[in-house]
Amino acid sequence: MTAVGITTSGVSKRLGRTQALDGVSLEFAAGGLNGLIGPDGAGKTTLMRILAGLLRPDQGSVAFSAGGRKVPFAEVRPTMAYMPQRPSLYPDLSVAEHLEFFRDLYGLAPEVYAPRAAELLSVTRLEPFRDRRASQLSGGMYKKLGLMCCLLQSPTALLLDEPTNGVDPISRREFWDLLYRLASRRVLIVISTAYMDEAERCSKVHLLDDGRVLSSGEPAALLAAEGAAGFHELFLRRADARRP
Amino acid sequence: MRRGFDLRRARAMAAKEVRHVLRDPFTLGLALGLPVLLVCFFGIAIDFDVRDIVTVVHDADRSRPSREFAQILAASGYFHVRGPAEGRGFLSQLDAEQASSALVIKPGFGGDLLSGRGASAQYLLDGADNSRASAVLGYLPGVLASARLRMLPADASTPPAGAAALKTRFLYNHELNSRWFTIPGLSVVVLGLLSILFTALTVAREWENGSMELLLSTPVRPMEIIAGKLAPYLALSAAGLLLLYLVARLGFGVPFKGSHLLFAGVSVMFLLATLSQGLLISVLTRQQQIAMQLSMMTGLLPSLLLSGFIFPVESMPAFFQYFTMLLPPRWFMTACRGIFLKGAGPLELAQPLLALALLDAVLIAAAAARFKGDLEP
Repeated sequence: MTAVGITTSGVSKRLGRTQALDGVSLEFAAGGLNGLIGPDGAGKTTLMRILAGLLRPDQGSVAFSAGGRKVPFAEVRPTMAYMPQRPSLYPDLSVAEHLEFFRDLYGLAPEVYAPRAAELLSVTRLEPFRDRRASQLSGGMYKKLGLMCCLLQSPTALLLDEPTNGVDPISRREFWDLLYRLASRRVLIVISTAYMDEAERCSKVHLLDDGRVLSSGEPAALLAAEGAAGFHELFLRRADARRP
Repeated sequence: MRRGFDLRRARAMAAKEVRHVLRDPFTLGLALGLPVLLVCFFGIAIDFDVRDIVTVVHDADRSRPSREFAQILAASGYFHVRGPAEGRGFLSQLDAEQASSALVIKPGFGGDLLSGRGASAQYLLDGADNSRASAVLGYLPGVLASARLRMLPADASTPPAGAAALKTRFLYNHELNSRWFTIPGLSVVVLGLLSILFTALTVAREWENGSMELLLSTPVRPMEIIAGKLAPYLALSAAGLLLLYLVARLGFGVPFKGSHLLFAGVSVMFLLATLSQGLLISVLTRQQQIAMQLSMMTGLLPSLLLSGFIFPVESMPAFFQYFTMLLPPRWFMTACRGIFLKGAGPLELAQPLLALALLDAVLIAAAAARFKGDLEP
């Protein structure tokens, strides 16, 4: 699988009266998990949407590479998968019907689809719930179904916007185990989260606050450099500093 | 960037839409039950035939001919004749809206008639209700003709040779049965509005429940989404139309003289136009509430008032005559009346067919052009 990379340089985006992003320059590489860490309103979703090509930056640019070679977005797009933060599945369609719908949208052949769907259903342990409608799934199962729809086409790049938001701790751990497996296959994974404990599970984190990048690097090195025991502390300290 | 059309993706969209509809009894009922209910309800209620016009007879002559004349008026079936009001009572009865017309027969009516000088009577008509007044004016010549026939000697009732005479015969709808004309018209209005609503809500719903964001990140293209949304609702509204056709033919006895194939073709073209109009609204508004209001505004009043259903297009000011050309119901109304009552063929209906084809193309192209492939506001 060709390793996909994304580089943003000086990306700014204004949404209405809010400056959602302000000069964001970041690098995302395949292999390992890229975490976008920040509190609510930091600009995580806006950045994700820009990476997915759903929003255009006001300033700055986003560059894509495949196998070390610079490529246009259109080349990466067909094998890029994006999981929005807000619920985006069809409440009245069942788990199996969702998989069939996305199978057709991605144009998967039956011999590719059947084993992959079976694998995903067993890994996510959703097999017994194939016929359950999305509206009747628990929060964790719903997110796992969203992830399955993304993974059906075996993407080269996976953008997950707060996939564990509102999910119980056990389901969250299962979710991360799934992501580790994918990362080992040299898939580019960008995952955003407001859960600071999840930041430490990433191989590289990008701290975002108020539309700006605070810092970027390996979680342990970053904490050591800031002299903080955890990411909680780091963001709380910043919040206190801003308070008049 | 995203060109081309993949049939499999369009089919997947359509199949998904069919599942939504089948699982939502409300939509299904709306599509199949409501039009039939509305057309039956209003079809029975709306009757353009004016009958039982309350007429006060003021007979100052009190002769045999004057009584006979009033009787002929009553016997026509259109007038409900009320008996001779005393003094100037008929005027106050008109003022109080207890009567909508009055027949005033002056003294000497009978004498004039018998002596061959020609007799005249006055007919007062409440002009406040325009449509009733014009209907009454339409009945009077018939009444006069039969009066002439029955009250004058035979030789006087035939016009002298060489004199011009106008004989009217109503074509296609000999009895001017207004149901023959209201039922197809109502069907066009009801189904036109419903089909706009179907598609107007569907794209907006995807925006509102967040699925559009996911959809746009997949390889699916706007044209495929549009085709996948149009096809199932075309089938659904065509089924609704078929039910209405059966109601019109079997329930109301509306005759059908034309070709069923042509009717099916022109119906599909009309439904495609209104469905695309709904899709365009949905693509533009992205919100179900606003889409609904816009659909009502652009779908109900124009098709009710400007399609030629109630008011003939030919008598509108020039600007509005051109304006109605933009409305799919106007063309479908013309085509329906032509096919149902006159048995018009494709040649006679070339203009509506061409106009509907053009509207289909323009509306679909507009919906596709305005379909945004991203989340930019």
